[in-house]
Amino acid sequence: MNNIQIAIIGAGPAGLSAALELKKLGYDDLVVFEREDEAGGTPRHCGHLGFGIFEFKRVLSGPDYAKKLAKLAIDNKIDIKLKSTLTKIEKGVLTFSTPEGIKQYRSTCTLLALGARETPRPDRLVSGARSPNVITTGTLQRFTYLQKIKPFDRAVIVGSEIVSFSAIMSAKHAGIKIEAIIEEKDEIDTFCIVKYMVKYLLKIPVFTNTKLKNINGKDKKITSVTISTKESEREIPCDGVIFTGQFIPESSIMQKSFDDFNLSNNSLYISQNFQAKSDGFFVAGNAIRGALAAFKCYFEGKKVAKSIHDFIRFKHEAEFVKIEADENISWYYPSLIDLKSPIKEHLTTLRLKKRARGVIKVLLNERVVYKKNIHAFPFVSVSIPWKHIELKPKDVIRLEFVTLPFCIFYHNILKKYAKLSSFILFLLVSPLVR
Amino acid sequence: MEYIDLNNLFPLRSSNFAKDEIFDVAVIGAGVVGCATFKEFCEQGAKAVLVEKANDILDGASKGNSAILHTGFDAPPDTLEHECVQRGYTEYMKIKDDYNLPFLNTKALVVAWNDEQLGKLDAIQNKGLGNGVKELDLLTSKQIIKKEPNLSHDAKGAILVHGESLIDPWSAPLAYVKKGISCGGKTAFSHEVQDGSFNGKYWVIKTSQKPINAKVVINAAGLYGDIVDKIKGTQDFKIIPRKGQFVIFDETAYNLINSIILPVPTKRTKGVVITKTAFGNILVGPTAEDQESRSDSQTVKETLEDLKNKAFHMLPALKNHKVTATFAGLRPASDETFYRVSINDEKNWITVGGIRSTGLTASLGLAKHIFELHDTRYEKNPKENEKITVPNISEFAPRDNQKEGYGKIVCYCECVTEREIKNACHGELGAGNIGGLKRRTRAMMGRCQGFNCEAAVTQICKNEVENNE
Repeated sequence: MNNIQIAIIGAGPAGLSAALELKKLGYDDLVVFEREDEAGGTPRHCGHLGFGIFEFKRVLSGPDYAKKLAKLAIDNKIDIKLKSTLTKIEKGVLTFSTPEGIKQYRSTCTLLALGARETPRPDRLVSGARSPNVITTGTLQRFTYLQKIKPFDRAVIVGSEIVSFSAIMSAKHAGIKIEAIIEEKDEIDTFCIVKYMVKYLLKIPVFTNTKLKNINGKDKKITSVTISTKESEREIPCDGVIFTGQFIPESSIMQKSFDDFNLSNNSLYISQNFQAKSDGFFVAGNAIRGALAAFKCYFEGKKVAKSIHDFIRFKHEAEFVKIEADENISWYYPSLIDLKSPIKEHLTTLRLKKRARGVIKVLLNERVVYKKNIHAFPFVSVSIPWKHIELKPKDVIRLEFVTLPFCIFYHNILKKYAKLSSFILFLLVSPLVR
Repeated sequence: MEYIDLNNLFPLRSSNFAKDEIFDVAVIGAGVVGCATFKEFCEQGAKAVLVEKANDILDGASKGNSAILHTGFDAPPDTLEHECVQRGYTEYMKIKDDYNLPFLNTKALVVAWNDEQLGKLDAIQNKGLGNGVKELDLLTSKQIIKKEPNLSHDAKGAILVHGESLIDPWSAPLAYVKKGISCGGKTAFSHEVQDGSFNGKYWVIKTSQKPINAKVVINAAGLYGDIVDKIKGTQDFKIIPRKGQFVIFDETAYNLINSIILPVPTKRTKGVVITKTAFGNILVGPTAEDQESRSDSQTVKETLEDLKNKAFHMLPALKNHKVTATFAGLRPASDETFYRVSINDEKNWITVGGIRSTGLTASLGLAKHIFELHDTRYEKNPKENEKITVPNISEFAPRDNQKEGYGKIVCYCECVTEREIKNACHGELGAGNIGGLKRRTRAMMGRCQGFNCEAAVTQICKNEVENNE
């Protein structure tokens, strides 16, 4: 058994930036554990540009960004243990499988920066043939950018979150033709402009209000997919299917090891200090909720470093109030309020599962204490301010969202307006992209 | 960028015996029954060949099942199935340690969810006692809750079957074939049987590759059993494939139950089971859907949802856990419920068909039975007692990732090491396709379904295959 002061699990943007910040604050007894054979996290296989703008004031590709982060960590003499997979957390002891055998550590503080992954096919319960050619964006990226393998020739993308755009880029890079993008909702799951870019610049058909009905194939080979709308059905020939988005934290180890698992967020209950109920455990980055951009994780890493710093210095007894949420909310953070913490920026920040117009309500011990009319997109966060809410220990907070039917009229007008403005933006931007 | 066909990652196998070699027996079909039979004959000293149309073992009915070692408490009394299930159980217990095969005695509860089912429990208990299964206890709903606190409190009563246990359905047959090979048996994968002729002394079996000569043919062709049986001239039964869909839940759900939760069976099927698996998950299934196709194992969204809801009703806490995998298996049911085992002495042909659901347990017993039917003495193989082991991939014993020097973990969800994947690519019984690799290592079978490792696993396999050549 080794004793260390700070253990950071995961060498992605959140884990590494926390490690760098803690190092700056003077912590040397710190180890970063990473299960992959190189540090950098998810950006390692996001081959497209757009990383590092806020952190390094430069436009980098994912792999370059990951390399830069990893190099920074190594230059700062941060101890990164690669190929170390966390297999168990029990009574504060972390057990790792490493090439040198089982290793155990006891730490004062543990930061779980475990990252997130997409929801693969089984949990979506899709009908049809099973095949190794049914994959996720992450798998496709690893195939194309890390292993230089093209697994199929023509594919259909399921889901239209912004990550499906990454799937298109990866497919393009590998020479895979994308036959269609299918989305169950009545509009795509990201900014309208992306739809126009996909439809008119890349010439890929986008089917909204459309379900993937069946994956057709024989002997583990895919031949086509059947898609259906309310009125009709059609078949699209392809030999691969890419499921995109629906990110969830890589949190099975949390669910196995801790009692206070938050099913709405698929993560632990976490305070505004990133602190879990279990003493000395912190969570940051995408392990808190679905996937956010790398820079957000990076800055969250810096914040959690300060919280760990405070935790070690002041050792204050936290007093937690739990926040629960209803099923319209896809995630919210924080899910615990530490009454003793001086941080009172927002009560919580949330995202909805679907685009909707309605009222978000905060119930304190079943009494509404805050109401706000919102028109929210599933990819835009809504913050709830702290003011007007007095909290005492043992209070219970609940978040509820109610769709307002009379808003549908306005909703439709707004939708048209959104399309128009997106189209104008598209016209302005498209010459630059070409 | 190099295109790789994930379905043809591994080269098609040929066979390593001479064209004019005449075997004592040819076992057609490398499902669990075929594998066990092959082992039995090889051990007894017969020169045997295992003929399989796929490029790997367990490619048909035997790849998808609920992985339970049954006691036979509910087997039809005084039938071959009853005999073989119990004999198979005893045999498995004898050999499991030698082969390094896992076993966990979880016990099973046959739960009655309504008064009608409750009324049937006595009959089930009596049937069990009649079948020679002595360790059966009737439990009241209070006792059930004490034993299975997470189970829905709607349970009216149950029978506790002490002997029911969990095993690894993929490693056991692998061990059987390995043993057969070590005793001099030969394998012929990717040899699809097309036709055959009997010249009075031996059969010449025409396959998609070279023909195979054998004095006796054992037809264990599972889902294709009736088609292969036509070769001998008469067809005594018809296979009606019965699809069973399954839902597998994440390892986070593993501790929700202690024992196997069985329903009160109907005439047609044992019904939907909830059980732990040797790989640390919770399994729910199977359904029973008769169909025409012998290869179509597609899953259906509505059925899977229905399965999930059934499971949630029985085990409400399961709602809080994610689905790791869904799959469907095909059972080679025939037009009758009993096993179709027969011998045609004139034609030197043994049929082992219609092993619709208890095949995993019964296989070793069936193998003994078939050898007795065959009724020929061979000089026992001197390697009969040679020790053969297979790598443990179950959660019931230490796995490769707990022993140093494995390179790195490639599949994080299932903790599969680089060494395990490399080893699974080599040797006469190396993986023959991606499915075979999964069954040997568990790679890509976890909650992320290859999000993290499919590309890396593919790359390792590709390199190993190139090294092999």
